[in-house]
Amino acid sequence: MQKKLNEMGYDEEGVVVKIDEDLKQKIAGVGIRAGKKIKMITKEPLKGPVVVMVDEAKTSLGLSVADKIIMEV
Amino acid sequence: MRVLLMGHPNVGKSVFFNRLTGANVVESNYPGTTVDYTKGYMRQFGEDIEVIDVPGTFSLEPKDKAEEVAANMLHDSKGAKIICVVDASKVERGLYLALEIIEEGFPAVIALNMWDAAVDKNIQIDAAGLEQIGFGTLKLTHLEDKRQPKIDPPDRDLW
Repeated sequence: MQKKLNEMGYDEEGVVVKIDEDLKQKIAGVGIRAGKKIKMITKEPLKGPVVVMVDEAKTSLGLSVADKIIMEV
Repeated sequence: MRVLLMGHPNVGKSVFFNRLTGANVVESNYPGTTVDYTKGYMRQFGEDIEVIDVPGTFSLEPKDKAEEVAANMLHDSKGAKIICVVDASKVERGLYLALEIIEEGFPAVIALNMWDAAVDKNIQIDAAGLEQIGFGTLKLTHLEDKRQPKIDPPDRDLW
């Protein structure tokens, strides 16, 4: 099943399927690209950022960024 | 000669800088401790080398002030040589920035910090493969030991 990264539940894991073209370069530096396994750690309230685990490292992403990453879960 | 220490936040650039230059800049186990650059000197290969501790950045496309300092520092340092400090236990993440740096035409050596942590996690790094891409590699462990680490790039032509 596919869903947006920001729609994933706590501790849910998925694989990146598609990233918005404008965003690809921006998040490549933190190691997020198609095919990467990502685990949701925290979603901050009040439209705050999400914290995800990529390659054993926690990374925070703005909600508007997480909204443009499609995951296969 | 000028050498820039670059890499992601919290990979040990400042610790490495302190060990190389004998300086005492703040080290912590939190990302974003260095937000401006620090300059120091070391004597190696019979010459004085200027070493710069650059704030951590994920890429050369800056997203905040500290990253902007890092990207500008690199662009203003034509002719400098880069030591790209990478957490050896998360090596893939660090390579993106390293590739961006060599794409800009700078000679770069990868310093695989926390090598002991990578060995503990049974992570094997193909140093010969990295050298084929155009990097020299340095394996760093035990930087908590206050002595100056030996810098011996395998390919002196890079330097």
